[in-house]
Amino acid sequence: MAQNSSAKESIKEMKRLKNEPLLLIAILAIIAFICLFVVYPVIKVVVFPSLTDYAKLFNNQRWFTALKNSLLMTLISTISCTALAFLFAYVNNRLDVPCKGLFRFASLLPIVSPPFIVALSYILLFGVQGIITKQLFGIHIDIYGRTGLWIVQTITFFPYAYSVINGVMQAISTNLEYAAYNMGATRWQVFRNVFWPLCRPGVAGGALVAAINVLTDFGNPMMIGGDMALLPTEAYMQISGWYDMNTASVLAVALLIPALVLFVVKNFWVGKRSYVTVTGKETSLEPYPIPKFIKWLLFGITMFFTIFILLVYGTLVYGAFTKAWGYDWSLTLKNVQYVFLKGNQIRNSIVYGLIASLGASLLSMILAYIVQKKQVGVNKLLDFFAILPGAIPGMFLGIGYVMAFNSQPLELTGTAAIMILALMFWNIPTCYNSATAGLQQIGNSVEDAALNLGANSFRSFKDVIIPLLKAPFLSSFVLSFLRSVTCLSVVIFLYSPSTTVGTISVMVLVQSGQWGEAAAFTTILIAIAFTVLRITQGILKKQGIDLKL
Amino acid sequence: MKYFIEFRNVVKKFGDFTALDHISLGIPKGNFVTLLGPSGCGKTTLMRQLAGFSEPDEGDVFVNGKRMNGLPPYKRNTPLVFQEYALFPHMTVYENISYGLRLKKLPKSDVDQKVRQMLKMFNLEGLEDRFPRQMSGGQQQRVAFARALVMDQEVLLLDEPLSNLDAKLRVEVRTELRQLQQRFGITAMYVTHDQDEALSMSDIIAVMQHGKIEQVGTPWEIYFRPVNRFVADFVGTVNFLTAKVAGRDNNILRVEHNGHILRIYSDVPAAVGEMITLVVRPECIRIAREDEGIPDHACIRGSIKSYSFLGRMIRYWIQVGNDEFIIDDNDIDLNGARSGSVNLYLDTRKIHILRDGGAHADS
Ligand SMILES: Nc1ncnc2c1ncn2[C@@H]1O[C@H](COP(=O)(O)OP(=O)(O)OP(=O)(O)O)[C@@H](O)[C@H]1O
Ligand SMILES: [Mg+2]
Repeated sequence: MAQNSSAKESIKEMKRLKNEPLLLIAILAIIAFICLFVVYPVIKVVVFPSLTDYAKLFNNQRWFTALKNSLLMTLISTISCTALAFLFAYVNNRLDVPCKGLFRFASLLPIVSPPFIVALSYILLFGVQGIITKQLFGIHIDIYGRTGLWIVQTITFFPYAYSVINGVMQAISTNLEYAAYNMGATRWQVFRNVFWPLCRPGVAGGALVAAINVLTDFGNPMMIGGDMALLPTEAYMQISGWYDMNTASVLAVALLIPALVLFVVKNFWVGKRSYVTVTGKETSLEPYPIPKFIKWLLFGITMFFTIFILLVYGTLVYGAFTKAWGYDWSLTLKNVQYVFLKGNQIRNSIVYGLIASLGASLLSMILAYIVQKKQVGVNKLLDFFAILPGAIPGMFLGIGYVMAFNSQPLELTGTAAIMILALMFWNIPTCYNSATAGLQQIGNSVEDAALNLGANSFRSFKDVIIPLLKAPFLSSFVLSFLRSVTCLSVVIFLYSPSTTVGTISVMVLVQSGQWGEAAAFTTILIAIAFTVLRITQGILKKQGIDLKL
Repeated sequence: MKYFIEFRNVVKKFGDFTALDHISLGIPKGNFVTLLGPSGCGKTTLMRQLAGFSEPDEGDVFVNGKRMNGLPPYKRNTPLVFQEYALFPHMTVYENISYGLRLKKLPKSDVDQKVRQMLKMFNLEGLEDRFPRQMSGGQQQRVAFARALVMDQEVLLLDEPLSNLDAKLRVEVRTELRQLQQRFGITAMYVTHDQDEALSMSDIIAVMQHGKIEQVGTPWEIYFRPVNRFVADFVGTVNFLTAKVAGRDNNILRVEHNGHILRIYSDVPAAVGEMITLVVRPECIRIAREDEGIPDHACIRGSIKSYSFLGRMIRYWIQVGNDEFIIDDNDIDLNGARSGSVNLYLDTRKIHILRDGGAHADS
């Protein structure tokens, strides 16, 4: 019955769209685009191997181990990421300690950096030529493999969990804790019965975000995984070493399934379970003081990790200006010059990032606008399409593009177009979320008011929605740009000699042990990312808007 | 009669929920009609059907004889003042007010002249370069009025436009608004759930409940001749008395309540033996002084349960048979409130009779 009437509703609304041909065209175009550039490549990969190929996943010892390793690494890294993120969020929100700004800075850095940077620095610090291991202590330890990767993944991805947990913790009024103290609860009871239950949805959400990132990460395992087999790296080996598309597809699908599960749990289960309501009206009291001993202990631990993160970045910059890491510590500009020689790749990074982000934020904006403001029956489908790419690991998308666009009529292999398209669709969920958040702030009736005064859909979009969306548009554009410039997993399968980008060069340099050049490359990528971020923040600040990452 | 705005059998469903259930309502030109009803009864939804923000599932909407169904909102010429103002946050006051005119591609000088006129009328001169966030709620609200009125349309829709104002300002604005509407001969449709607003401003009131119109009528009809207990109860304070018709002498109906005969002036053709409801407004009843002799046929007995002292009067809650009465007593005795059993004196000419079988209010 409900099904029936909602179907009727949809049909009626589709009929109404006849009055708004522009909207109808936009909807159809978006659906076509996403089917072609997201759904089709995914299907291509899934149906490529035969059933017997899939069976090999369980027969072939190495691949089965890769599956196990991937899941195990995800599990332990998620636990450590979440714990560390909780600590940082707790210190930030509930402790009266100095250096909070520094802590926040440290937890932002990894988000705006290429994902493999921690691995690279870790090698520079503790590797065979490591400044700490070789230079300081003269010892040699094997850092490649499980433990090294675990540490690196924790540092790299805890900031993602942090931003979720911190958001939730910020919204919990300290008044609630005071209310519990007031009723006679002890500190521990307040934490256990009030604070923790309210944090739980945030912790679950943060953990899932971290898990998805760790599971699908490609850069860190590539650099520091050693000979430990993991799904993303193994799939890459199959393609780059053996041109074995069959096996690569099987491994990619094996990765897609847990990623999908995590994605579904995050979006449809945890998403609906937050009790925290942000009213913004009540004024919270200062956090209740906790015993000095515990306070400074937590501060110490946080400081330790903060220093470690700063060390990671410091090492990188130092490495960029060092003659020969491990042998000759004198300073030099030759690494930077090398990067400028390869200026083409940096230029590619920037150009592809700009175009892809422009496309992604424009498309997402229109998509979010239609979903939020236009009551058309296909809204649910469009919303699903918009967040769908978020469920697909970057390398899966890469492999999909390789398979889907290697023949006429859409032969894109080796072109810049394929890199840009892949980055663009990979970024759509990020941009879409940011656009949706922005749109939700604009009351529905503002647009109705424009229509009411005689503006048609197009005019009201142009006169009212677009000006109000400038800020969310810019922030989604910047986010997307940061992600594109620092992305490795998507493009690693798609580049050709003329379309190489910065991140790929870094990986190649690391593999051939050219640490200095790799560090210089990475430093310049981060510098670009930070510059763009600061410029946008500056523009938005003039309009009185804070850009949040 | 020829209506200027007309709804014919309008049905609107959200999934399985019926928000508007066969609504028919006609509004003559130049009238001020108020939709009155509790929260969630469908007032906004009905108005949205007229403005074109959503389409009815069944039925038709007419303006000036022209069928509006399917017409997009921007072609309907039905300016609306939104409950939450909905001013464009990125436009100044001047830009907000002139937006609709600019869309019509009116010459700049005409636009300017009309906007100036509005600024003057709404006391907004000097504020034209401010942004909405730089103004008080009352000022923003006046901009919202100006933006709708400047369009010079024959129709004006207002969805609880005063709900964000304080009580005093609200009374001022509603008087002004009514004068404006009459001066320009605008056909206005107004939404509120405030009965005072409805009674004081309207030519016609439509009382709604659960997506249906319960009664349409002038404020007098609605207040003194409600068609059922819901309408009577929603518009003003009211007491209900269940009684049985005992007989009729010309225009006087004899009814029995609690074994006691009351004589009520009424033309209602109630049959002898029928159970009815008497609608007794607080102003139709008072507590008799202790020594006062009152005619038997206008008297009922009750006992005071509680009271609250309000300064110029005392409000009593009085048990009468199975019912509880609310009575406002202006004739305050300096010695304090009354207590115990009292006689109540009914003004039997103002009492309204409902032929509802004496049913209880919560239907
Ligand atoms: N878009 C919608 N989807 C589903 N239900 C809706 C929608 N819009 C309104 N409703 C429902 O229709 C009913 C009538 O809503 P409406 O907004 O017309 O009430 P109202 O009389 O204006 O109330 P109020 O005085 O609170 O503004 C409500 O029960 C509401 O929940
Ligand atoms: Mg309403």
